[in-house]
Amino acid sequence: MSSTDTTPAASDDASGDGTDAGGDDSLGRRALARLVDASIFERLGIAVASTLLALLIGLVVVAAAGYDPVLFIDNMVYGIFGTYSVADLFGTNNRLAQTLRPTVTFIITGVAVAIAFRAGVFNIGVQGQFVVGGFAAAATIVSIAGSLPGGAAGGAMVIVVATIAAIAAGGLYAMLPGILKAYAGANEIITTIMLNFVASGVVFWLLDAYFRPGGTFFVRTERFPEHVSFPQPIFEGTSFSVVGLAIALLTAGLVFWIMERTRFGYDLVTSGHQADAASYSGVDAKRTIVATMTFSGMVAGLAGAVYVIMVLSYFSDPATLPTFGFDAIAVSLLAANNPLGVIPAGLLFGGLESGGNFVNQSSDVPRQLIDGVVGLVVLFVAAPELFRMAGKRMDVGGDEQ
Amino acid sequence: MSSEDSERGSQSDDGERSTADVVSDAVYDNRWRLFGVVATLLGFVFVAALLTDVPLTKLVDIEFWLGLPYGDVFTVGFAERALQAAMPIALAAIGGLYAEKSGVFNIGLEGFMIFGAVNAAAVSWILAGGSASQLDLWIALVATVLLGLIYTAVFAVLTIRYKADQIVAGLAVWFLGLGFGPFTAVVMWGGVSSPPLSSLDTVTVPVLAEIPVLGRLLFDANPLLWVTIAIVLASYVVLYRTRYGYWIQAAGENPEALDTAGVSVRRVRYAAVMFSGAVAALAGGMLSIGIGNGFTGTGTTMVDGRGWIAIVAYLFGNYNPILTALASLLFGAAQMLRIQLGTIGVDLPSSLLEQFPYVTVIVVLTLVGATRVPSAVGESYESEE
Repeated sequence: MSSTDTTPAASDDASGDGTDAGGDDSLGRRALARLVDASIFERLGIAVASTLLALLIGLVVVAAAGYDPVLFIDNMVYGIFGTYSVADLFGTNNRLAQTLRPTVTFIITGVAVAIAFRAGVFNIGVQGQFVVGGFAAAATIVSIAGSLPGGAAGGAMVIVVATIAAIAAGGLYAMLPGILKAYAGANEIITTIMLNFVASGVVFWLLDAYFRPGGTFFVRTERFPEHVSFPQPIFEGTSFSVVGLAIALLTAGLVFWIMERTRFGYDLVTSGHQADAASYSGVDAKRTIVATMTFSGMVAGLAGAVYVIMVLSYFSDPATLPTFGFDAIAVSLLAANNPLGVIPAGLLFGGLESGGNFVNQSSDVPRQLIDGVVGLVVLFVAAPELFRMAGKRMDVGGDEQ
Repeated sequence: MSSEDSERGSQSDDGERSTADVVSDAVYDNRWRLFGVVATLLGFVFVAALLTDVPLTKLVDIEFWLGLPYGDVFTVGFAERALQAAMPIALAAIGGLYAEKSGVFNIGLEGFMIFGAVNAAAVSWILAGGSASQLDLWIALVATVLLGLIYTAVFAVLTIRYKADQIVAGLAVWFLGLGFGPFTAVVMWGGVSSPPLSSLDTVTVPVLAEIPVLGRLLFDANPLLWVTIAIVLASYVVLYRTRYGYWIQAAGENPEALDTAGVSVRRVRYAAVMFSGAVAALAGGMLSIGIGNGFTGTGTTMVDGRGWIAIVAYLFGNYNPILTALASLLFGAAQMLRIQLGTIGVDLPSSLLEQFPYVTVIVVLTLVGATRVPSAVGESYESEE
């Protein structure tokens, strides 16, 4: 938070990795830098080890709570793939669609988090930006779909307009904490968490006051017209569409390209990890923070649009939506905040989600267990030293201790 | 570097200043911010009214605003509710400030509170089902604090020994609470929330309770109010008036100096972090069986952001336990204001009024701006032996 203080203690510990020192602001950056500094194999190893250890502890909890861990594993596997044989994987099997459906949202929200973390900004508000974006898309669709022509072309037009509205809404909603951080020094972790609550409450009120069809009990918009949906060449009848998956993959690729290959992305990343170097080369640090948050929020808003169009086809009380925005933090951290790495991490989380739902349906094990396992994954990813020390026990060498 | 260090160490030593000085300085330093907070809160009510169907002419009608029975807002009942709402925030905030003073940013307060809330409810259920006696409830609270110590011991080992990223590990604690809190509830009660449970009775102190206003606020109250006040005062005295408090400050500001003086930086940090977990657990238990009647695990659980608000409370209170408690009172009042506004005829939808404390937090944080955090926060410290 204080950027004027230099901290002697910090420079001792940072072991000359070039990150700046000083208060809370750089605390996050140093920490993120440490996660990113690891080599690619080490990162992959840490991600795999964290996930396995988290699942193992999850199993212990399952057993300790009096459930059958073997049945749990069996249910998880079936829940993820819908089959035990590879040959059936793409047959008439809708379980795979249940896995790919949340994967889409995990990838897009994960990319949103990765943008911010990569640039050294802790956007914990992806959930709120996702809600605001989803609401903007839904509000646009129910408002304009009736006055535009029907059919596939009309539907596509509505979808494009709604998606633009969602991206704008998510971006603006994230811009606010960005401005507060850059120009008033307000810690973005806390402002974005508070804005998650506010988004939920205000969207609930808007739905209740302006978008609830007369006479209905539930607080939700009317259903979208049939033609406002993604085409489904395969997995017909499920709420998964390959168009959604294509949007997710394109988003990850595009963001990777922007972050790695453009001047804009280069400025974001360098100001995240080498603030001094960035400011010497003329990058306006404050404007970069605002740009980072806005960019991150735009992607979160896109996730909201894809989710309401592909999965819900209406919008309801935000408190009842899954917390994709929080899980996205785990997805991004597992991927070492690399937009392309988010793809396999998102797939893993899609598997956990659909496996967890299946476990919930077919046994007594509560699905909240999966949320706990997600927490464990984040905890272990935060402590790579844990695995480095464990690794050191096995082979001699490594660095000084 | 060493001379710079010792200078910094002596600068940050508030030990010799009196409370009155600290308070008056803080009020003076923050006078525009305090003004801004009040103005913004009024602005929020105004905008919220604009968005809803309260007629505009009424809002600009000075007679309407002058005519509102403001005396009816600030009732003793409001003060009582605000105090009660402030208790868990203040406790968690005191814990958070101790951890951060010692150099560890415990951003997991919210998660530790969720664990506290569910554990207290579960232990009281195990002891006596839905009809726990007062003694059972106290036992449950003590057990909750002990469990909180164990959780934070693990957190402390990860952040201090294994140098875990304090921010990410703290977020992880929140996610763990959001997952395993409701999980525990499902295992215990078959749903994410507990059935109604008994809570601590109000205790009336004879004679003292007869004092007008103060008697009703302080001596006809939930006994946890006294526990909270005692912890606030004790933590102030310990932090600024004892050698141990000086160690805690040194561990966060200048660990090398503390190490040179022969005190283990690690041990001081372990103690401070575990203390923060213990009080956060008590704060959570307070919500589920101290004041409230059982655990609620829907959405963001019954803790509902109070742990995050606690962080802002100690930043606003500038790491001073007494100012932090006062800041908590402000947030407690913000939570309870909607009941008061309703009674005097400001009629806004509750889904908007419920956002009042969160908006207050954002406003306060913006006005407080960049605070001066202890310089070694977030750094693991390696003793050179």
